[in-house]
Amino acid sequence: MTGGSGQARMATRESFASRVNRFRAVNAWWIRIACYVSSIVLLLAAWQAFGNSFGVLFVPFTVTMKRLWAMLVEGELPAALWVSGQLYLVTLVFNIVVGVTVGLLLARNKLVSAAFEPYVYILYATPTISLVPFVSVMFGFAFWPRVLVSVLISIFPILLGTLEGARSIPRQHLDVAAIFGSNERQLWRDVIIPYVTPYAMTGIKQSVALSMVGTLVAEFFLNPDGVAAVMLEGTTVVDSAKVLAITVFVAAIAVVLVGVGELIEWFLVRWRHSAVG
Amino acid sequence: MATLSSGVEVGTDRRQRTLTRWLTRERVAPVIAGLAILAIWQVVVSTQLPSFVARPSGVILAIPETVASEEFWLDVVVTLGSILEGVAIGAAAGILVGVAMGRVRELDWFLSTYIRALYALPLIALVPIVIIWVGYSPASRLAIVIISVFLPVAVTTADGTRAISKDYIDVGRIFGARTHNMWFGIALPSAMPFIVAGIELGFARGITNAIAVEVLASVPGMGMSVFTKSNELNENGSMVYVVCLGVFAVSVRAGMIRFRHWLAPWYRGT
Repeated sequence: MTGGSGQARMATRESFASRVNRFRAVNAWWIRIACYVSSIVLLLAAWQAFGNSFGVLFVPFTVTMKRLWAMLVEGELPAALWVSGQLYLVTLVFNIVVGVTVGLLLARNKLVSAAFEPYVYILYATPTISLVPFVSVMFGFAFWPRVLVSVLISIFPILLGTLEGARSIPRQHLDVAAIFGSNERQLWRDVIIPYVTPYAMTGIKQSVALSMVGTLVAEFFLNPDGVAAVMLEGTTVVDSAKVLAITVFVAAIAVVLVGVGELIEWFLVRWRHSAVG
Repeated sequence: MATLSSGVEVGTDRRQRTLTRWLTRERVAPVIAGLAILAIWQVVVSTQLPSFVARPSGVILAIPETVASEEFWLDVVVTLGSILEGVAIGAAAGILVGVAMGRVRELDWFLSTYIRALYALPLIALVPIVIIWVGYSPASRLAIVIISVFLPVAVTTADGTRAISKDYIDVGRIFGARTHNMWFGIALPSAMPFIVAGIELGFARGITNAIAVEVLASVPGMGMSVFTKSNELNENGSMVYVVCLGVFAVSVRAGMIRFRHWLAPWYRGT
């Protein structure tokens, strides 16, 4: 934009802008790939370049990866994962079974749900971490208290989702079932369960990711164990390679779990389409 | 007109009367349930568990002592102050980055890997590395609250500004809107419900994570006091803090929902 008359400059700028836009539209696919690749390459390059400038606080990417590999091979991380994995799976099963059951029961009885719903919401809103000392005083630090904390943190979305779903069953569906003389068992089999399944599945999708949050919180705050314990060990001795390595690893697991959740949803959407169409 | 209005009046009046009849039943139930929960808690703890375990009567008796102490107010000010500060910074940064991501898709592609990976990550897993970098200090708490709010706000703002109707954009173009008009005059207001939902989510996570940092990094504050009081076997005093945190969290939630209804009455989300 250095020379030329005002009008000419205007003209070139306009055509330049529209050319840029055309270029963006035509090459969208390649630009997209370039953006993804360059963002990752840039981050790793910056990590590698600045890795040595903060002393022990920050280590380069390669050092972090070597450390991660060493922890995986030496068995420190697999052992921790085994401990955390058990807690995760038990939490997930509890969330699904208890969350869906309680959600359905609350939805089927108006008075019971009116009575207890405010407290469910209050418990949901209250930062569960602050309840940890009470759980540990009453039940100790072993596996089941951990499950309790973990479930308390992660059960509410699936419970409330199921409740919401069961409550939104159209009146007509229930009326039709009543007119055709359905008993309670048939009502559940033919109306309630098919209707609520998508809502419960959405809850399960959320639960797959959320149970991990619960697992980590329970491990951090009830006498550290599993992955959280390894991280805290690294923090107390300012071993940033160890902490960074596990943080990256946990992030990778989280991304995979969210992906699993999205896969569940994808199947669900396909199933819904095939059921409708 | 008169007959019509009186007819309507009678209709609403009757509906209102049935509504109140319906409401009282539904309103009495939670009160009874709440009293029952408290009574069971009281009886079980006082008959089965050691005397230091928190119980409703003990918590009520502990309120005056706790509220009179200077330490309590100091804790409240530092913790809630830090949360509010973090929410303000995180929300502002999240809105800016989110609008940019929503309107410039190259930027979205460039940043989304990290934003979405971090969004998927339980933020409690970031606490150890933040403690290493920022130190065992209140700054760690602020940093975690900022991240907790920034991520959901950036994601929801990006989703909201990306999803705006083509018609709005076209109208803006016709009226000669410049880029900043498009971003902050059209995209941002139409994404408001999404943004408020993001702040709501971030706020809740921020409260939880602020407490987590206080406990893990030994930063003085309400969360820290819940744990220290409990360790000193003053569980009733500890529970007073929990109740305060709960009241704060619940009122934030209710306030955000009202705020969203006021800001975007047309939006019929959750």
